[in-house]
Amino acid sequence: MEQEIQQKGYAHPEALVTTGWVAEHLNDTENVRIVESDEDVLLYDISHVPNAVKVDWVEDLNDPLVRDYLDPERFASLMADKGITPDTTVVFYGDKNNWWATYALWVFRLFGHDNVRVMDGGRVKWEAENRPMTQDVPSFARAEYPVPTRDDAKIRAFKEDVDRHLQARGPMVDVRSPGEYSGELLHMPDYPQEGAMRGGHIPGAANVPWARAVREDGTFKSADELREIYEGEAGLGQGDDVIAYCRIGERSSHTWFVLNYLLGYDNVRNYDGSWTEWGNLVRAPIER
Amino acid sequence: MDRKDRVARLVDHVGNPRHKGVLDGAQVVMPGGSPECGGSVTVYLRGDGNGRIEGLSWTGQGDTISMGATSMILERVLGEDLTMDEVLAFDYDVLLQEIGHDIIGNRTRHATLGLSTLKNAVRKYLRERLRLGGV
Repeated sequence: MEQEIQQKGYAHPEALVTTGWVAEHLNDTENVRIVESDEDVLLYDISHVPNAVKVDWVEDLNDPLVRDYLDPERFASLMADKGITPDTTVVFYGDKNNWWATYALWVFRLFGHDNVRVMDGGRVKWEAENRPMTQDVPSFARAEYPVPTRDDAKIRAFKEDVDRHLQARGPMVDVRSPGEYSGELLHMPDYPQEGAMRGGHIPGAANVPWARAVREDGTFKSADELREIYEGEAGLGQGDDVIAYCRIGERSSHTWFVLNYLLGYDNVRNYDGSWTEWGNLVRAPIER
Repeated sequence: MDRKDRVARLVDHVGNPRHKGVLDGAQVVMPGGSPECGGSVTVYLRGDGNGRIEGLSWTGQGDTISMGATSMILERVLGEDLTMDEVLAFDYDVLLQEIGHDIIGNRTRHATLGLSTLKNAVRKYLRERLRLGGV
């Protein structure tokens, strides 16, 4: 276990690797696949970690028609294309403090690919350390990846789950900005399709903007620092059954990662319908 | 132009953005986009009162597609001295094809952020001129 990660006191330190670890495993392509997943889809084209492949949350992970993720057949095909087997250790990294990297990781988990890690600090730390970057796109032999079963129940919440959670007064975390949480911001001008008919938050949800979990250098805060935020401020407790949400479920996958892997909460679900669903639902209860 | 060159052109526009900055004396300041998703821009516009653009600039932050495409469209509008009517009539698909659908994929909104905000700025300018009795 890497000391740098170990020192931060996480429940599952194995979920993170350092940039140094990745640098040492660049050529271990038999066992490790480095995956870049960004908001800025062209960053990979501009340069990327050597031997990294790209997984794009829009083009690769979303169903092109229905608002859902890809089906098991397409996931298996995507894995095969990237040279990933069920045993491959997949290390995610990306821009925006690993926001999209954790989103991709969460989708991989839906399909039972549990051998996943995040490069602590993401792309920004790798670049800040002047580590090698390339434009070369690696080519790996097509892998065998049996079609998996997708199990949404454990880590994904649907609207009905949120309804039940609300009735049971279960803890929820709204990870959007304070303006979105308070209802001041419905959507940005000219993009009503990205917004909702009503602003505010799901009653009882605490507001912890997702990026508070991250230090200035892009690495995750220590477990003590995270506990102070999520337990000291937001009132969560070990053993809680937590639902996290944002606008479409991307920012909240970052918080899901923090609560699940770094703080050891076993029952955390990401409500990817999030505010674009809840804020448009007729008669859905809203608090401001 | 192949994909690599078109990506390089966008990257060049991001590194050396054209007409970026606050425009002194702007008559319209029009925001657009989302800082949390793709990017946000603000377009600054000044007209000459006769349907021509006298001053135009932009500020913003976001991903390579949204920032590069915004710089590209402003360079084109000012380089070709397009009128306000020509800006409103400018076909989004012309811009999309110039950047390339192979690059944009489903991120059409990112690529059209600058142009749509510019069109909104022109509309606001024309509305206000109309209200004040001139173009």
